[in-house]
Amino acid sequence: MKDKFEGITSIKPVAWFRNQWAQRPLFSTLCALIVMIVLQTIALGFDQGSFLGWLSLWTRNWLNILRNNATIGIIALGMTFVIITGGIDLAVGSTLVAVGAVVMIFIDGSATGLLTSIGITGAPAYIIGILIGIVVGLALGQVTGLLITVGKLPPFIATLGMMNICRSVTQQCMQTINPSVPRSFTKIANLSVGGQMFMPIIYWLIIAFIMHYISRHTAFGRYVYAIGSNERAAKLSGINTQRVKRTVYTIMGALVAIASVLQVSRIGSMDYANAGSGYEMDAIAAVIVGGTSMAGGKGTIAGTVVGVLIIAVVNNLLNLLGVPPFLREAFKGVIVIVAVLLQKKEKV
Amino acid sequence: MNLEMKDISKSFGSNLVLDGVDFSLEGGEIKALLGENGAGKSTLMNILGGVIDANGGQIFLDGKNVSFSTPKESLEAGIAFIHQELNLINDLAIYENLFIGRELRKPNRLLDHDAMIKATEEVFRRMELDLDPRTMVRDLDASYKQIVEISRAMLMNARLVIMDEPTTSLTDPEIERVFAMMQTLSRQGVGIIFISHKLNEVMTICHSYTVLRDGKMVASGLVKDVTSSKLASFMVGHDVVEGKRAEGHIGKVVMEGCSLSDGRHFNDISFNVHEGEVVGFTGLLGDGRSELFQAVFGAQKFTSGQLFLDGQEVHVKTTSQAVRLGIGYVPRNRKENGIIKDMSIFENGSLATMSTRKKNLVFLDENRLEEEFKAQRKALSIKMDNEDDPITSLSGGNQQKVILARWLSAGPKVLILDNPTQGVDVGAKEEIYEIILSLARSGVAVVVLSSEAQEVMRVASRCYVMYHGRIMDCLSSDDMNEKNIMRLATGVEE
Repeated sequence: MKDKFEGITSIKPVAWFRNQWAQRPLFSTLCALIVMIVLQTIALGFDQGSFLGWLSLWTRNWLNILRNNATIGIIALGMTFVIITGGIDLAVGSTLVAVGAVVMIFIDGSATGLLTSIGITGAPAYIIGILIGIVVGLALGQVTGLLITVGKLPPFIATLGMMNICRSVTQQCMQTINPSVPRSFTKIANLSVGGQMFMPIIYWLIIAFIMHYISRHTAFGRYVYAIGSNERAAKLSGINTQRVKRTVYTIMGALVAIASVLQVSRIGSMDYANAGSGYEMDAIAAVIVGGTSMAGGKGTIAGTVVGVLIIAVVNNLLNLLGVPPFLREAFKGVIVIVAVLLQKKEKV
Repeated sequence: MNLEMKDISKSFGSNLVLDGVDFSLEGGEIKALLGENGAGKSTLMNILGGVIDANGGQIFLDGKNVSFSTPKESLEAGIAFIHQELNLINDLAIYENLFIGRELRKPNRLLDHDAMIKATEEVFRRMELDLDPRTMVRDLDASYKQIVEISRAMLMNARLVIMDEPTTSLTDPEIERVFAMMQTLSRQGVGIIFISHKLNEVMTICHSYTVLRDGKMVASGLVKDVTSSKLASFMVGHDVVEGKRAEGHIGKVVMEGCSLSDGRHFNDISFNVHEGEVVGFTGLLGDGRSELFQAVFGAQKFTSGQLFLDGQEVHVKTTSQAVRLGIGYVPRNRKENGIIKDMSIFENGSLATMSTRKKNLVFLDENRLEEEFKAQRKALSIKMDNEDDPITSLSGGNQQKVILARWLSAGPKVLILDNPTQGVDVGAKEEIYEIILSLARSGVAVVVLSSEAQEVMRVASRCYVMYHGRIMDCLSSDDMNEKNIMRLATGVEE
């Protein structure tokens, strides 16, 4: 890395900062987030009359940001594992729609609903619907995993195919069925505690903690890194690399299913043609901004959470500054490119 | 064309690789250039091919003093170097490969396919070859690929061809074909330098030979005046080092293979390894020993044969299954197959045991892994600052010890080591030999694969010598000497 801080290294905090920047990938990502938060806070303005007024505005704005990004946040957690193994999953948006459709069929509150018609309503129906949704997510992930390991397809191709299949089949099947989401189901995401809705945030954080622990403290988690860094060496160390890769895509499927349930609950309906489209790119962008290497072997769950936040905060900032919506996507592109330019790269 | 290389010297740093070597070749002569790995053959040929500069000496072509500083200059002088790794593009036709980078064009700058095909046909006619220039290189077998490389040299009017182990990956009929080609060229006055380890091939095809050992020319003459075993002893020299080993207790058979084949790299292999024994497997490049033991370890497949572990037949399908069965495997090419460069020293050393060291059903027992690694670190005296440093911060020898630690923590019944001292300095080499021997004394069955005869003799009590995917013989005690190993490894039968 080029010495960015030459000449001022004699000052102690600067040396510390420089050291952290060079040694810890997460440090630079966190710095970027803090800068963005400061800018966003300034953009939000301080003229709220009282400090409490300002604080409540600031908090509400933040809860909004977090809630709106919980779905992408959960998907990005699974995507982190996928990308660390050196793979990619383009099918997450379509899987989200497919699982959402299945869940909605089961929780349908109208008299003709699948479970309603046999007398199962309310919480039992929701539990069945959610469990079946997660099973569908697991199954779709497992299929992707089998295509990649047994079929030896490149992940890009396998998931590109799955992406088209899932959305297309869902749209065809849902042409005549129009399930309605019961009001009580929306409580899963929209339950209001103390006047604030933060359930999605809690789900996201819980899953993030679980994924963090898996990545750090289980054999499977370490194998994910080993495979991404050197698959052949991993195999020759007695790791069942095929099974680990299959599991990674299966976990991805399960997380997409959870994200899908949240999405259905939060919005109360699903647009099968457009829901989840672009989620794959948003999730990949967040993972990359969070310091995970596309080449595999490097990355952290914490980094991905920060990556999601950076993109979310920048979006919010652009919104506050009144940048036209069409231009916002351009900024997202700039962030991704800058983030990767700043990452330490190995010489070829 | 006459070639004279006089008093060629070359050193890399303080390491003298070539020490006043003389080498000559007449037009139409096929000369074998022989020597063990590291004898200086490649260096000498790289000097002739313009790849590297000599420190001293002169090269004469037809009496004219020349020097080449790039491969291009050498090629323009009529010298073509055909490397072991062929330089062909599979998805292009033969004629396109021949003209790559020097395509013929029509006045309008588009490719002139017809002219290129015609020129290729002309070369093939001169070489007495019946081959359609439009054939895709992908559809050719390995011998024709070799021949296409030679025809590329002929297209450029090469008068001297250097062939670096051209027959390594060829089958017998393919070898015949390449030899026929060489004879045709020889009749037309093209000189050929044939680098090979296979002495029976040398005896068949070559007119003369030059043997290098430790950077010096040790023998030179006509092939009809020598025998292959004489050539083998020229290659190893007379100062054969006696292996010094302390015999331990050798117990029952732990692993046994019965006519194992994979249909490609090895054929009809039967062997056994006892408890507390170090068994060597040696041979030259392409003998199939690495593939054999990768299959034993579950990283590749057998097509036929049986493998027994403690008398029970086992079908090892995956490497993780092999580990559960008590087989350990230290691969060759540490960088590609051994180390995980993004992981710490500790993690690299614990990779094989992680799956079985759990605190509860889910989480790793990090304390236990750490203790085990510390114990190995001490036992193997791995030199390092902090076990959380990246593995790449260590020297080659210490990296290799970390890979050893990875397997020793797993406590295998059988440990397979492929080229265990590759890229390791002399001191660490000796340490690794000691580790291998003490491992055997503790009752582990150890298999050492190595192409260095001295290494095998140093650690193994028996050794199987392989040639072209077959076991030639199993040598032990006094028969296990460099001369016998070299003779069997070069495919000479008595």
